[in-house]
Amino acid sequence: MTCDQINLRIDAVLDGDEAWTSDARAHLDTCSRCQSRVALAQGINRWLPQLPVDTPPATFTSGVMARVRRERWRAEQALDAGFNVAIAAGLLLIVAGVAGLAWSSGLIVVGADVVALMREAIAVTGAEIAPQLPTYSVAALLLTMGLGVWWWTEHANFER
Amino acid sequence: MSDTAERDLIARCRQGEDGAFRELVDQYKGLVFALVARTIRDPSRAEDLAQEVFLKIHRGLPYFRGDARLSTWIYRIVVNLCASERPSRDVPLDAGDEERPAWEPGGPDRAYGDVELRDRLDKAIRRLPAHYRVLVAGHYLRGMKYEDLAEALHLPMGTVKTHLHRAKRLLREMLEEPRPGSEQRTANSE
Ligand SMILES: [Zn+2]
Repeated sequence: MTCDQINLRIDAVLDGDEAWTSDARAHLDTCSRCQSRVALAQGINRWLPQLPVDTPPATFTSGVMARVRRERWRAEQALDAGFNVAIAAGLLLIVAGVAGLAWSSGLIVVGADVVALMREAIAVTGAEIAPQLPTYSVAALLLTMGLGVWWWTEHANFER
Repeated sequence: MSDTAERDLIARCRQGEDGAFRELVDQYKGLVFALVARTIRDPSRAEDLAQEVFLKIHRGLPYFRGDARLSTWIYRIVVNLCASERPSRDVPLDAGDEERPAWEPGGPDRAYGDVELRDRLDKAIRRLPAHYRVLVAGHYLRGMKYEDLAEALHLPMGTVKTHLHRAKRLLREMLEEPRPGSEQRTANSE
């Protein structure tokens, strides 16, 4: 049995996870180096649980709560912005729908040149949008799904 | 805290009750702060990182299934956050520390020797590799059980014990008279 072999086992033995063999005991009885190591290991075991523990400052909890509130506020802001955009888009659609209806039923009279100008504008915009139509469709679908999931979680929260 | 009280506190936190989360912070801030402060090298980052742990807890509570104890889950968050923290430059070792005489068991002035051992042990822990520091802090400084550490780290209990034995051997070697190679080993092990 060598000092190095003893050295590898000291902590396991002191923790009760291993036991000294008779060879090891015989070595320990005569080796002052190993005895000193065992004593140091015992000192470490004695002191480890008594070492000073760092404590948080008195303002710690209020600091955490402020950060939680800030994070929640940011999330709400993002949600609000999304809603505002959605509401504006909805309003725009309603106005366009009502105007279209009024125009087709003859309630609004628009000059032929204005109609021609609008047709051209729609045609140009349509030609520009057409290639990206799948992208817009997917984006619209994702937005709808996102709002749907949000509505569902909010609803689930009310139920709880 | 009893299991029932803990479940009740978690349920109130999940309902968005700020007062309940404040209670949770007060309950666990000692554990979190002590672990973070012992695990990271730069003590000035301890408060910020410990607060970050609680933000992660706040975000994660809706997904906490309650399979493990809350303290075990929190310990895991601390370990992950400290591991992701970019290691800053090593804390400078106490100049002249290595020149001090080795600790002498049962020497003529044992009380003084013991106090000195405590101080040097305190410093030596900071030189351990991070994964040993967080284990030593959890088990010896905050009294966490082997099984809780094993569950938090997804390690067998035997491995946790082996890591703790190795950590203590490293500490011992740091406290012993400097021998060629021993300093290098601790410096290279991280
Ligand atoms: Zn020996």
